[in-house]
Amino acid sequence: MRIRVKGFMTSWLSLTVTRLLWLPPTLLVLLVFVFVISRVVPIDPAVLAAGENATAAQVEEVRQRLGLDEPLLLQFAKYLRDVLHGDLGNSVYTQQPVIQDLILRLPATLELAIVAALLASLFSIPLGVVAGLHRNSWLDHAVRLFAAVSLALASFWIAIQLQFLFSMKLGWLPLSGRTDEFAPDTVTGFVLLDAAIAGDGAGIVSALRHIILPAGSVSLLTSATLLRFARNSAISAASSASVAYQEAMGMPRRVIVWKYVLRMALAATVTQLGLSMGVMLTGSLVVEAIFDWPGLGGYAVQSILYSDYNALMGVTLCVGALFAVFNLLVDLLQAAIDPRGES
Amino acid sequence: MTASRRDALKVLLGSAALLPIHPWGTFADIEPSFVFANSAQYDSLDPHTVFDTSRAAVRFNLYDGLYRYVDNPPQLIPWLAESYSLSEDRKAYTFKLRTDAKFHDGTPVTSSDVVYSIERIIALKKGPAAQYLDVIAPGSTQAPDPHTVVFNLSHVSAIFLATVPDIVVVNSAVLKQYDNGGDWGQAWLARNEAGSGSYALDRYDPAVGWTARRFSSHFAGWHQTPIERLQFRSTLEANTRVLGLMRGDFQGSEGTLPYDQIQRLRQSGEMQIIDQESMRIFLLMLNCSKPPMTDVHFRRALAYAFDYDGFIKNVMKNSVSRNPGPLPITMWGTPPDLKGYSFDLAKARAELAQVTTPIRKLSINAIAGAAESEQAAILFQSALHQLGIESAVEASPWSVLVNRLADPQKRADVIPVWKSTFYVDPNNWVGEGFGTRYHGQRSLSFYSNPKFDALLEQALEATSQAERLPLYEQMSQIVSDDAAGIFVYNSRWYGPYSKHVSGIRFSPVSGGQDMRWASMTG
Repeated sequence: MRIRVKGFMTSWLSLTVTRLLWLPPTLLVLLVFVFVISRVVPIDPAVLAAGENATAAQVEEVRQRLGLDEPLLLQFAKYLRDVLHGDLGNSVYTQQPVIQDLILRLPATLELAIVAALLASLFSIPLGVVAGLHRNSWLDHAVRLFAAVSLALASFWIAIQLQFLFSMKLGWLPLSGRTDEFAPDTVTGFVLLDAAIAGDGAGIVSALRHIILPAGSVSLLTSATLLRFARNSAISAASSASVAYQEAMGMPRRVIVWKYVLRMALAATVTQLGLSMGVMLTGSLVVEAIFDWPGLGGYAVQSILYSDYNALMGVTLCVGALFAVFNLLVDLLQAAIDPRGES
Repeated sequence: MTASRRDALKVLLGSAALLPIHPWGTFADIEPSFVFANSAQYDSLDPHTVFDTSRAAVRFNLYDGLYRYVDNPPQLIPWLAESYSLSEDRKAYTFKLRTDAKFHDGTPVTSSDVVYSIERIIALKKGPAAQYLDVIAPGSTQAPDPHTVVFNLSHVSAIFLATVPDIVVVNSAVLKQYDNGGDWGQAWLARNEAGSGSYALDRYDPAVGWTARRFSSHFAGWHQTPIERLQFRSTLEANTRVLGLMRGDFQGSEGTLPYDQIQRLRQSGEMQIIDQESMRIFLLMLNCSKPPMTDVHFRRALAYAFDYDGFIKNVMKNSVSRNPGPLPITMWGTPPDLKGYSFDLAKARAELAQVTTPIRKLSINAIAGAAESEQAAILFQSALHQLGIESAVEASPWSVLVNRLADPQKRADVIPVWKSTFYVDPNNWVGEGFGTRYHGQRSLSFYSNPKFDALLEQALEATSQAERLPLYEQMSQIVSDDAAGIFVYNSRWYGPYSKHVSGIRFSPVSGGQDMRWASMTG
């Protein structure tokens, strides 16, 4: 037993180290890609930074100040040097260090993605497993229909419909924003967490009421995918030789389901959840605009529209790193659920 | 095992229910406030770098200028200054400041703050700077005593006074304290406020917006029932703004919502729509620098090929007024008998018959996402097709389009676009739009006509409005006769406000966001 635990820890550690070593080259490729794409777009950020009423001389001065008149390779080399020193540069649009802009907005986006992931998992995994265990029942048909329809719907359309129903018609939930008012001074930037730390029940309720609709909109696509994965995994688990053996041995069905079927279903579904985190992070950018969610979405859109290179690269770096970290976490989780995968 | 899990769950839920409920910052004691939903993001609060109508609330509520625009048509009223005088050579403007004006930190507003503010605007070369760079040299503005400031212009400028309200005054002592390596306190002022305005900044979150409290000791005094607390939130989606207004989450929003949304708000019965003629003309900019656009007959043919009435009736649902010339109909300087053009393909063909230069395929560049601009482009393309003129429509985001404006070779032949009020003077539209001296990004035409330019130079040096009026009338007539642009309509402003709000004073410069005059009940 002790040997098994030790082996397990070693495999976790080696997985973590390998993934972390891969992170810098992955991010570098991502940065090169975004750098090239952003320079191909026919927009001159100096014109935008100088303002609508600027003279040609003003534009030229801005171009020199931002170093946009230098060769591209030199610009990229300088950028990389600064990134390695923890400096993502200043945003042309907000005139603030990009790192500060990201710190300000990232918690809102992360909070939304995490709550959406929780919603999707809590809703889809049990429902998918039950549907798989009762294959071809009315519940199974309903689940499949729901998954098919959800996959075909755009999250922004869902978001608007949810607003109409729950905010306008029923009046149960707020229309937009992250809190009723400006959030109080934060500790972590995660409003739910901050409210919990402060022991503020009203704050928790307010934050929960605000996050339900955006998180629901973001999670819909993931829910549909997870449902299908959980259902299919449950079906294959239930028909596996080991389950047939357990049944033949007279083990109660409840134990078989909880101990074997659910675990096998979870392993495949969790991998899918990791991949979906990327979709949820980017999907939330659209939904954020509809719900006035003060996350990275508006910042990313603005940085693209204004060719705010530093901001654009900062957002890419941040989302890319998050995606890698989420996938690492998922792999670790999966190794815990089903250690065979890593042995 | 199962029982123990259930027990654990019960304990957990029980503890959550027993969480001590006590105030966490502002949630527990939210004061009622006027909430304004704005389409633009408040990425920066610096009034010397951000200079657009959609974010006018910062300039008008948190800051003061020497003079101020109110009402519609806009009136210039003394504000931080009590009066001004002009020197014999008409180059030195001397302003006498009020003695009772205070910044939000309690220190008095003095002439050295005004000098610092104009120097800062010129040094940063952003926002309103373009209006001053050619008339005010760095270091030329003087403060002979704490309540006198003298602007020494480098040449006579008849439009200077019209631009004075944009010199909003910042607290120089505070900014000097936050100056970081000669950045004029830019990094700090983007996130904070150092003004003397009617409201003082309370909270600011660039991703959300800002709140402000009434500055009770403001020099201009207060009416009986002012609004105590303002909240300006950025709400990017028009649909969310409209739903929020209908729900009562927001008590006001910009007057530039699409007209069908305005109708929706009207029908909801919850809102009042304040309807005013604005100063924002919609035109099809013509690039007059490239043949065949250099040919006046060709341009006239184009001017006869736009279905003005059809566009106003069907696309704009009669929500706007026809504007026949380059100036908004509410601005002085348009000849009383200026008729403009009508949709008449027969006349267009007659003009085309006189064109001597070869006709090529035209490029029409609409603003992507601005439905009216895109619809105007398509309507125009269809009429051109009837005349046998081929054209290609491209819709680009404003950020892409604006990049092509400065270069006449890159600028499209036709651009359906709006021209807003930067300063209230006919020069803002007709002078800058069609004078050779303004060729560049701000030009509406790259049009060049020595006769027009001579009138413009005269108008920029003229001493009075009475003297300038006939000059701008002549310039407007020339632009119309030469079809240097296709002028369609003047925007109407449909300001949606809660029925509980009263006293909104709209001016095209403040966009109805100057809140010191307003009240709110309920």
